[in-house]
Amino acid sequence: MDLTRVLQIIFTGLIIGGIYALIAVGLNLIYGTMRLLNIAHGELIMVGAYVTYWLYMLYGVSPLLSMVLVVGLSAIIGLLVCFFIFLPIIRSSKSITVLESNSLLVFFGLSFIFTNVASLLWTADIRGYSYMTRVIHIAGVPLMYNRLLALGVALFVCLACYFLLQKTMLGKAIRALIQDREASQLVGINANFIYLISFCAAFGMAGLAGCLLSMFYEITPFMGLPYTIIAFIVIVLGGLGNILGSLLGGFLLGLLETIGVSVTSPGLRPILSYSVFILIILIRPKGIFGRGVY
Amino acid sequence: MGKERRLIGAIGLILLFLCLLPLMASDYHVSVFLDLMMWIALTESWIILSGYTGYISLGHSAFFGLGAYLMAITWTHIPYGLGVILAGLLSTAFAFAIGFPFLRVRGPYFVILTLGLTEFTKFLFINLEIKLGGTVGRILMMTPGLHTLYYSILVVTAIATITAYFVKNSRFGTGLFSIKEDEDAANAMGINTSLYKWLAFGISASFPGMVGAILALRRSYIDPYTVFSPIVSFQVIVMAFVGGLEDVEGAVVGAVILTLISEALWARYPYTYMIILGIVMIFIVKFMPLGLVFPIKRRILMRRKGKDR
Repeated sequence: MDLTRVLQIIFTGLIIGGIYALIAVGLNLIYGTMRLLNIAHGELIMVGAYVTYWLYMLYGVSPLLSMVLVVGLSAIIGLLVCFFIFLPIIRSSKSITVLESNSLLVFFGLSFIFTNVASLLWTADIRGYSYMTRVIHIAGVPLMYNRLLALGVALFVCLACYFLLQKTMLGKAIRALIQDREASQLVGINANFIYLISFCAAFGMAGLAGCLLSMFYEITPFMGLPYTIIAFIVIVLGGLGNILGSLLGGFLLGLLETIGVSVTSPGLRPILSYSVFILIILIRPKGIFGRGVY
Repeated sequence: MGKERRLIGAIGLILLFLCLLPLMASDYHVSVFLDLMMWIALTESWIILSGYTGYISLGHSAFFGLGAYLMAITWTHIPYGLGVILAGLLSTAFAFAIGFPFLRVRGPYFVILTLGLTEFTKFLFINLEIKLGGTVGRILMMTPGLHTLYYSILVVTAIATITAYFVKNSRFGTGLFSIKEDEDAANAMGINTSLYKWLAFGISASFPGMVGAILALRRSYIDPYTVFSPIVSFQVIVMAFVGGLEDVEGAVVGAVILTLISEALWARYPYTYMIILGIVMIFIVKFMPLGLVFPIKRRILMRRKGKDR
């Protein structure tokens, strides 16, 4: 195997890993702060992808501009879902077990609704468009602009998220809530406000991921679930509630998949990632970077 | 005593009706009841683990698919009934094999682990099929008639319901409920919770295996995408939640309601059906988190107590 091929694999792995990280950080934020497992996370990716697609096809809106619009739209959806559905459920659930199973059911419900409304509106046809397909050579490896853009944006947003969590007062409050819900409320952190913020941020990131993915992957109403599962794998890999872990886990899984596929065959990619997932959860359920931030 | 006799009488009547149905009804109605009983069997078996212990499993699809594939592979080589029993045994064996490590993880971990399991088996079968046969999907020839399938589903459903009932009302069932209440406390009280969960997982897994085997013949075409579809698990969960997670009757009620809705909508408006399913799920959680059956049962119980006084 020559060097160019190796570099090619690494670049592909990083690009797909960046997207994974972006999706997983959002999912982990909701899990960390609220202990809710968002099964409908991938559906926001689908919505983001469709919105970008239609804006581009119908009105010629550049996907670069759509990124901003999609993030705004997804964040609003997140706000509404959190305010009207989850805050009441959190208030009415007596125990954490009840909350877990109830929220799971609601997320399933949301996932069904999103997927099937999309199928009704836009049919189940596979769609796609091409944007920024110019090829650039980096160290002899041909790469498309749109993928580099995706990597750049994903990396930027994940790191921004990480630094916001580490350096700002709001971030500190979120981390406190992740560590200990009751204690953080005792010191005056408004949990409901943090929940709303987490939902907005997580949904916004998922929408953004959809926008980025739409530039080089096909769009269908059912594209969400596989990404949701991928995001689960990543957050388990990096540790539930551990945001930096998700970021690293995303890249790790992206690289693992790409390397694995290149030595076997593309059909084995899902098997590979699920094996990693099952192994991690069985051997080290706290995640490989898990500091046990529960 | 009189109440119990009446209950047994009612169950006997229902069973008699279901036994006689194929003699009177059209093929369409028989197949509707076949679907209905299939969902009842799946839901009853699901609550044995997930309803009683609170370990929400999305693994039913995996066992369903395994059963379907066992039947597809052995069909025309071994007798039909034997195939169904083997499918059940295979699913149980698989559940027992993975049970101990899988049931060590709790809460959301278990949910996504079982979802991962379903997807893993799906892609495993896709790859195996391509490698061995070159194509994905199998056509089953000379499948048994509708009535044979109907009666076999009836038997499986009856056994599933009876099992769910007896497990709930046994020492074993009480142990399972204690896991839901507080697993650590149950352990401390001397209940071998890992053994209990493991057994419940195995019992619960056998029924989707058998149902999957029968359904493979009913559809006469299977491929990994449809038999390992997580939708099977999702539907079962909705049915269980609609009826009430801990009730044997609840599973029946949930399955009946959703099968009726699905019968009316699924064929012509599949998307609308799924949207309604989604709305029902959110509605249930928001307005009747205990399901439909439990509040009614509680009211009857309260009234009876009032009379005694």
